[in-house]
Amino acid sequence: MRPLPRFRNLPVTLRVPLVMAGLMILLGFLASQSVLSALGRVQDARLSETARLHVEGLSVALGPSVLRQDVWEVYDILDRARSAYDGQRLLLSIVADERGRILAATDPRRAPVGEEVAGFEAGAVPPDAVRMTGDPVLRVAAPLLFQGRQIGQIVTELDVTDLLAERRNVSIWLLFGNAAATALLAFGGWLAVARILRPVGALVSAMDDSKGAPRPIAETDIPRGDPGLSRLISTYNRMTTAVESRAEAERRLAERERFVSLGRLSSSLAHEVNNPLGGLLNAADTILSYSDRPEVVRQSAELMQRGLSHLRDVTRAILDENRLDRAGQELRPEDYEDLKLLFEPEVASRAQRLHWNVEAGLAGMIGLPAAPVRQIVLNLLLNAGAAAGQHGQVGLNVTAGEGQLLIEITDTGPGLGQADLGRLLASGPLPPGGGVGLRLVHDLVSKLEGEVHHDRVGDKTYIRVTLPLKDASHA
Amino acid sequence: MKSTRRAVLMGLAAVAAPFVAARSWAQGPAPFRFALTPVFLDNDAAVISALRAALAEGMGQDIELVQRRTYQEISGALLDGSVDAAWTCGYPYLQHKAELSLLGVPVWRGQPLYQSYLIVAEDDPATALPDLRGGTHAFSDPDSNSGFLVTASDLARGGKTPDQFFSRVIFTYGHRNVVRSVAGGLTRSGSVDGYVWEALSSAEPDLTARTKVIVRSEWLGFPPMVARADRMDEPSVMACKAALLGLSATAQGREALKLLSLDAIEPAEDALFDGIAARMAVLSGG
Repeated sequence: MRPLPRFRNLPVTLRVPLVMAGLMILLGFLASQSVLSALGRVQDARLSETARLHVEGLSVALGPSVLRQDVWEVYDILDRARSAYDGQRLLLSIVADERGRILAATDPRRAPVGEEVAGFEAGAVPPDAVRMTGDPVLRVAAPLLFQGRQIGQIVTELDVTDLLAERRNVSIWLLFGNAAATALLAFGGWLAVARILRPVGALVSAMDDSKGAPRPIAETDIPRGDPGLSRLISTYNRMTTAVESRAEAERRLAERERFVSLGRLSSSLAHEVNNPLGGLLNAADTILSYSDRPEVVRQSAELMQRGLSHLRDVTRAILDENRLDRAGQELRPEDYEDLKLLFEPEVASRAQRLHWNVEAGLAGMIGLPAAPVRQIVLNLLLNAGAAAGQHGQVGLNVTAGEGQLLIEITDTGPGLGQADLGRLLASGPLPPGGGVGLRLVHDLVSKLEGEVHHDRVGDKTYIRVTLPLKDASHA
Repeated sequence: MKSTRRAVLMGLAAVAAPFVAARSWAQGPAPFRFALTPVFLDNDAAVISALRAALAEGMGQDIELVQRRTYQEISGALLDGSVDAAWTCGYPYLQHKAELSLLGVPVWRGQPLYQSYLIVAEDDPATALPDLRGGTHAFSDPDSNSGFLVTASDLARGGKTPDQFFSRVIFTYGHRNVVRSVAGGLTRSGSVDGYVWEALSSAEPDLTARTKVIVRSEWLGFPPMVARADRMDEPSVMACKAALLGLSATAQGREALKLLSLDAIEPAEDALFDGIAARMAVLSGG
């Protein structure tokens, strides 16, 4: 059964001509068989006719002599018939009387007068039933009829060496002729089919060779003569463009998703900036009012310093999240601090409880790029926060596993819907509606060769992201 | 297939052969009828035609050469007058000596004599008649001297008949057929006219080469031309006799004689056939 799958693996441009060559060979075989069987029938008919005429002729000529048991007359007739017969087809003719004793034969030394004819009847058939058996000598036996009654018997040996040779020659010519014709036709067929199927081959290689990004086929390579194929290739080309456009759109969406997540944070971040601003303004007023009191000015200045540092940290975190030139930077524990800084106001605004636990140190993050991991965690945190709602709980647990980083985000929300799970866990086409944040998480994790798992235990939703650590040198 | 048809025609011709002469017998006003036997000439058309032309020229009248299968038929035809003269054998002549008279006797190799040959196949170890006991034997004609009487009388001397001595005896009604029979292996041995065997050895050397002569008889009177004794004075019979004896004098006659391998035809006396008569005596005595 092994050759079959192998054959299936062959390109269609080879398979079709091979099938055609096979059919040609089958056809050649059947044609040869039919010619040979027709030749066999012709030869059999010829033999049968020869034998029948010979026997009938002898019956007419020999009748009276056999009746008289005239050995010489019988021999004379046989001998003259033999010498008159130029085909050399008749090797031996034996005439026996009605008791089965030989009266005469063309070769009396082989079939002496007076012997039993039975010894020569082995394998003999009636003239009408004589057929080519492959034996160079065939025997025919027939009753010798005279005036309507049997008066003896005729046994004849027919030499069919020439017919066998003819048959063999025809077989050889058929074999070689058909083999040549089949080879020629199969080759021609292969050329023709290969030519016909060339656009299909181009299509297949265009789809196969480009590592997932289908390559369009040049306009010049589209066979205009074949409407079906040309339509197929045009459709394919349109499809490749659509795939490219989709990939481009997805890429742009991913770019924007960062701004989207910042946008989602903007309201709480504005509070985060606004709240210290009131304190800072108060401190500035205090300094203006009590500029002559040095301890009050110092206290206010310290207050302003703390407020401004916080503002600086928040701004830096926003900028870091937003910067496009961080592509090559590696993940550090400080990135989680940034994320906490960005996410805490969101938690506070919903009066939620945040369980923040980053156990993994720098060693547990080696080789992972900062930007995609931050994006993954921030997206999941924002989703968890939104899902947990007022007074809910959101948790982040980052631990270092064996050669991998485990990030677990929990929330007490109602759980992910089927559409959201589809976005997060599968690579299928995006269902219409809904955001692209979860799909972005899925894509980013896939790109980092990691895995996303979803679990719901009790009233808690667990989303676990496992990212394999890269060798530092490869990072 | 064509050849098979020809074979059929040959077969038919062979069956019909005895009736062909009868057809010609019914034709013509009254040509001189001269009988020949295939025992002897075996249907050589060239010989027959030359002989007829020579005789017709010599006799100055139309000649019909009538062929019969056996000497018995020839003798019968002679006696009942359906033929006027015949070239027969010494043995039937002697059998009907009272009714027949000699017209002439051919001269072969200088004398009016010939021999009977006992022949066997070329590779047969037999060297004499006794070696052939229990074998099959071909005679040409029961009324032939060389083709029957010689061997039969030899056997009679030993107290045997051919049927007792040989396992099977066939009559081929033709000296050439005796040679064919032995050459083809139909019979082990055969009794044949020495003159015919010698003529065949130059005409058909392939045929005689397959046989060999193991016994030659004494010289015996050559087969003579005869007519009914009571018709010897008839002008046509006398003309025939004159034409026969004068064959060597005419060009056509010499041509015919040459084809027959004969020198001439000369007058003969009954004494020429004393040897045959002696054998006849042995046969009837035995």
